[in-house]
Amino acid sequence: MESQKVDLFMMMNAKYFESYHLPAVREKLVQLDDERWPAVQSLQLKDPTTSLIISIVGGGALGIDRFFIGDTGMGIGKLLTCGGLGIWTIIDWFLIMGATREKNMEIFQNALY
Amino acid sequence: MAKNKLYLIVLIACFSGYLYLFYTTQYSENGQISVCMIKNATGYSCPSCGTTRAVQALFKGDLIRSLMLNPFGIIGSLGLLILPFWIGIDLATKRKSFYATYIKMETVLKQKKVAIPLIILVVLNWIWIIYKEL
Repeated sequence: MESQKVDLFMMMNAKYFESYHLPAVREKLVQLDDERWPAVQSLQLKDPTTSLIISIVGGGALGIDRFFIGDTGMGIGKLLTCGGLGIWTIIDWFLIMGATREKNMEIFQNALY
Repeated sequence: MAKNKLYLIVLIACFSGYLYLFYTTQYSENGQISVCMIKNATGYSCPSCGTTRAVQALFKGDLIRSLMLNPFGIIGSLGLLILPFWIGIDLATKRKSFYATYIKMETVLKQKKVAIPLIILVVLNWIWIIYKEL
């Protein structure tokens, strides 16, 4: 793919990935065929900030933050245990942004590899 | 989610669940302590309020009372009883049947026709719990 398009994608979407994912994302995009550009553009990546807001504003105790990023199993775990007795809720305030970025990398890999 | 991470999280959750159950049954005056953030912050019960009491009732053999308190208690008890053994067997025999089931369950639950009825059930259960004033 043209480096201009790759640069555009990286500029727009760098915040959705962990910093150590970025070289791999870039490498994959450069190797990718130009025909796949629409697929790359239409990726549904989740915003880490949104999941953090959900987690802090009450959604954490019900597991809604985990459901939001597509981590259904963990979400059910949090829902059934009232956010892991409140402890898991607090832990997730700090982990959820990283978890969202990991999930985004999974979405990216599932769509393009 | 990686297999080992999932197994570690589930084992820690089960262990702390048993610890919490033991603590509430043995040391608190009326058999319960409130750690729920929603209840402490807003005064309203959350969808899983009463699960501890439901599990305690179930382990005493009082199935009806357990169901009346919170049906989540049955799911919680089954999880507490089955999951550690399932993971133990998986780890001992180096298979990954629990991990495969977990992934399969996630894909099933993400379908709209499964998810929406379950969400409605949880909300109805929540309304019932608030109405009961647990």
